[in-house]
Amino acid sequence: MLPADRAQVPKILILATEACAYPGADNVGQIHAEYPANTYVVRVPAPVMFSEPFYLHCFEKGIAGIIVMSCGHECPYPGAYDTLATRISRVHELMGERGIQTNRLRLCAVCTVCSKAFLKEVHQMHELLTSTV
Amino acid sequence: MDKSQAQDPLREADNGATAHTLRIGVYVCHCGGNISDVVDVERVVQAASGLSNGVVTRHYPAMCSETGQNLIIDDISNEKLDRVVVAACSPSLHEHTFRAAVARAGKNAYLYEHVNIREQVSWCGKSDPDGATNKAIRLVGAGVAKARLLRPLAPISMDAKRHVTVVGGGVSGLRAARDLARIGLAVTLIERSASLGGHMAQWHLVYPTEDKARDLLRELVDEVIGDPNITVHTRAEVIEASGYVGNFLLRVEPEHITVETGAIVLATGFDLYQPQEGEFGYGQYPEVITLDQLERMLDPEGPTSGRLERNGRAVNNVCLIHCVGSRQIEGIHQPGPDGKLNEYCSRVCCTATLRAAGEIRRRFPRTNVFELYRDIRTYGRGHEEYYDEASRLGVLFCRYEADRPPVVSPAEPKKGPGLICAKHPPGRSGKLNLVPFSAEEPDDSALVVQVKDTLTFGEELEIPADLVVLVTGMVPREIDTLVDQLKLSRSADGFLQEVHPKLRPVELAVNGLFVAGTCQAPMDISESCAAGSAAAAKAAALLASGRIELDPFLAPVDLDVCRGEGKCVEACQYQKAVTLVEVERDGRKVRHAEVNSALCNGCGMCTAVCPTGAIQVEGWRLDQFDAMVDALVADYAETEVSHA
Amino acid sequence: MHHDKIDTDALVIGGGIAGLQAALDLADQGFRVLIVEKQPSIGGKMIGLSKVFPTLDCCSCICTPRMAEAEHHPNIAIMTYTEVRHVRREGDRFIADLVKKPRYVDEDKCTGCRLCEYACNTELPHEFEGDLGVRKAIYVPFSNAVPQVALLDLENCILCGRCEKVCPVGAIDFLQQPQETVVRAGTVVVATGYETIRTDFKKEYGQGRLPNVLGALQVERLLAPHGPYGRVLRPSDGKVPDSIAYVQCAGSRDRSAGVSYCSRVCCMYAIKQAMLLCGTLPLADITIYYMDIRAFGKGFEQFYQNAKAMGIEFVKAKVASITEDQQQNPIVRIEVIEEDGRVEQRQHDMAVLSLGLVPGWDPREVGLAAPAPDGFIRCTQPMIAPCRTPDEGVFVAGCAAGPKDIPDSIIEAGAAAMEAAAYLHEHTHVAGKETTTTCMK
Repeated sequence: MLPADRAQVPKILILATEACAYPGADNVGQIHAEYPANTYVVRVPAPVMFSEPFYLHCFEKGIAGIIVMSCGHECPYPGAYDTLATRISRVHELMGERGIQTNRLRLCAVCTVCSKAFLKEVHQMHELLTSTV
Repeated sequence: MDKSQAQDPLREADNGATAHTLRIGVYVCHCGGNISDVVDVERVVQAASGLSNGVVTRHYPAMCSETGQNLIIDDISNEKLDRVVVAACSPSLHEHTFRAAVARAGKNAYLYEHVNIREQVSWCGKSDPDGATNKAIRLVGAGVAKARLLRPLAPISMDAKRHVTVVGGGVSGLRAARDLARIGLAVTLIERSASLGGHMAQWHLVYPTEDKARDLLRELVDEVIGDPNITVHTRAEVIEASGYVGNFLLRVEPEHITVETGAIVLATGFDLYQPQEGEFGYGQYPEVITLDQLERMLDPEGPTSGRLERNGRAVNNVCLIHCVGSRQIEGIHQPGPDGKLNEYCSRVCCTATLRAAGEIRRRFPRTNVFELYRDIRTYGRGHEEYYDEASRLGVLFCRYEADRPPVVSPAEPKKGPGLICAKHPPGRSGKLNLVPFSAEEPDDSALVVQVKDTLTFGEELEIPADLVVLVTGMVPREIDTLVDQLKLSRSADGFLQEVHPKLRPVELAVNGLFVAGTCQAPMDISESCAAGSAAAAKAAALLASGRIELDPFLAPVDLDVCRGEGKCVEACQYQKAVTLVEVERDGRKVRHAEVNSALCNGCGMCTAVCPTGAIQVEGWRLDQFDAMVDALVADYAETEVSHA
Repeated sequence: MHHDKIDTDALVIGGGIAGLQAALDLADQGFRVLIVEKQPSIGGKMIGLSKVFPTLDCCSCICTPRMAEAEHHPNIAIMTYTEVRHVRREGDRFIADLVKKPRYVDEDKCTGCRLCEYACNTELPHEFEGDLGVRKAIYVPFSNAVPQVALLDLENCILCGRCEKVCPVGAIDFLQQPQETVVRAGTVVVATGYETIRTDFKKEYGQGRLPNVLGALQVERLLAPHGPYGRVLRPSDGKVPDSIAYVQCAGSRDRSAGVSYCSRVCCMYAIKQAMLLCGTLPLADITIYYMDIRAFGKGFEQFYQNAKAMGIEFVKAKVASITEDQQQNPIVRIEVIEEDGRVEQRQHDMAVLSLGLVPGWDPREVGLAAPAPDGFIRCTQPMIAPCRTPDEGVFVAGCAAGPKDIPDSIIEAGAAAMEAAAYLHEHTHVAGKETTTTCMK
């Protein structure tokens, strides 16, 4: 692949919770399962800390897809998951208003050994972005 | 606690350096080929050296080795590094290793950023080494971008009272108090009633040791009373609470005492389920009693001097009905006065009942004992033996379904043949051997219990009973003042709710509060004591040194930016972790948010809603994330790709 | 032979969840702790479970933080793959002789990269996967093992040397010898856990020879997200089972099996597995044959009622025997306890034995006091000080003192730590006073 082509590969940002999804992403590596290299996992204590504009800015800057991998209802912080889910819905609305495909932002739950769930999410997002972008 | 403590180190100057003149060392680990066989580490280093702050950039076979760590330490002193970035395995393995190395070199440990290029790059990108290398370059770029914005952090440390308050003088509270005193902590034990011992003091013999409950208690109570580290207040109640972990203030009535305490163990116990009027004839017929009353009757020191009698006559037929007020099912059972059903199992009653049944059969062999149950739950060590023994002693078992509960009614004058009585011990799960009542065996029991016994062809049995014992379960005790003052949370069943049943089973959501015994869930004496000790262990760990160390990843407020709108206060899920305060500033009164480090858990709910970005979780600031994203999308990496 | 000497405040025997929790609760009070684990990783039985009742939390997500915390705790040292040979009292200290078994891999050098594992051509049944999956002769014990260090199974190794060639750090050492260590400790916590009764405990249940009759721990692996098949299949032919039977009290409450007690966790884990199976195989029929359902813990009864509402069939019956037909479908012969007490035969695609818990360790082997008649550690004051044993200064936690579930084990571990801490205080080994500890990681 030529350098110029590579620059076209859409980038996926994964916000992974410290308690569940980040160790889950490590687990995928531990079993040496492969997934596209255009994915960047960023460790966060709780993605609830990001406001709506954060996501929109990411898209503006050139991130093609965002997967928020949370702990789901096993979240160690009370109330955080529900707030996060509400916020993501609101970001979806804002994305719609701006003409950004809403399925470019996904919220899911990934546990410490959920390698299958992790891979499914990454592959799905990759498919979506490479077929449409 | 000094509120500015958390922020002090943030003001540590970087020798006047700005984000773009900071000296950053970047180290890329080969991990003995685990990384370098896939990722072109030379290219990663080359890219890093092109970054504005990449003063030192190296790759090395094993950064975690002694030599690897020494590379960092030497560079910090020789090259005057301000920040360190290591790209290696997962932070779960070696982040702490490199933080410690940075600290050994005399720098703040939090001026370190870890980049994961093994688990999340080389191991999951073997077939695309070029892609993996570019990914590593970008991730290192993001690490450096975050490193530029790192600030020194100090663990938050505060004084704590080496004193624990135990609320509740039942067996688990006594156990907790005594354990804490044994390791030298001062303890105040607060008991609402006039004496120590709780429910256990009312009990006669206890499973599985057949000890006299009072003997066991006396031993523990004597230890507690004789312990100079423990102050006991009976007939006392906590009516007001304030403060936070390490420094709570409790007001205790009626003695008007104030207790300054570092931690609180709640061991407030349970209440016995009070059957509703008419439930299985309770309150209607004097022959219907509860299991605790039976225990009193069996106690030689009790009201009947240990005689099993009712209305002045020896009891011939005892019928014990299990699960009264426990395992209630919607649509079948009537909710209690609070409108709630007790859906849970009360755990202790099966074995307690079998124990009493066996005792009756042994001491009063002419008395027939019937147990009407749903499931026999003799789960614990030495419990199953009571079931075996009761069967062997001729206790007769009938099993009823929840939707067909037994019915207790007055016995009609003898019906003659047709009325069925169960006779002859059938063995555990075998069938009852049924013998019709005959005129030769008159029975003058006052009551009759009808039950559809699923063990015997679903037969409707009529069991004569001159004593019906309702096996009542445990219900949450009314502790509304404590719940309100200490912000305790309750689970759906009304008992106190631990933070997590497995990760933190004796901790409550508010830091510094612990739970022990039956205020959490039904449990027996042994389990209550274990819970008391476990809660004591947590309190001991918290207060062992007299100082409480908290992670620095909390959310301080930038007072220059905060406008005091209070959005953070609305968003915060932790009681009073962030509040609005009014202060004088430059001669003007201003409102701003203030975070109590002892109560903040660093979740960042406040960060997202802050209109000015004044409140940020240290170590995870939003500007740091923004910078990381900028680095991830930057296009420097691709231009440097070479296809050798 | 090389002898190491370690001086510590507390010796914890067993690195399962009870041992880890006891160690953490002591270490957090400032005491130095050495955990000795006979397996190559800490985590015990818990780390192999799929999800936990009654919350259905992911088990790894609850267990791995404890493992990591113990691994990184400044006051805790861990020795894995190490056996305790003897414990004796000397004055007010305990002296324990330990033997670290050879891994044939240098723990300090190995980075857990698994290149050796990939290079090895010898395939063997994987113990961690309940023998359902395959491992190599050299292997990292399982994906979230702590430490992440390979282990060479020399007995099954053909000495081809491939692993040695590919190891990037030269960690393979075929000549490694057992290493003896002497520990001086102020107190001992026994957290040696349990074993499930062997599947051949009862000849009527197929003696472990029926391929589609599994033990419950094997099903935990089938249900784990990172399990051996990645999905639920029956072992004989890989068929997705449509009908699954649970046989309760298999090796519990059964004098003929030599276990008269209730194993306390089987009702709940069977219900949990049944619920998880309902999620994975929505069309499967699941039947639980039971004597009594013992859903006694916090939230358990509600969990049981939910399982009933999901359509899981509960049949009060004793399973007399299990055979198989020509397609290797298990045939379960039951005696119905209710109704007419009839005897019936039912065919299922797979049967699961809810195996009882038996002691995993005899304290007499190391010179500690004899166990109780049930084989578990004897408790001298079970009512008001449940962790005390006949050996003064030796405390017990978790399933070593009889079957119990995870929350009860964790609470008991806290209690054992409290007792041990109080004992250390009363015998002047106050935390921080003794600074001669030379624990190694």
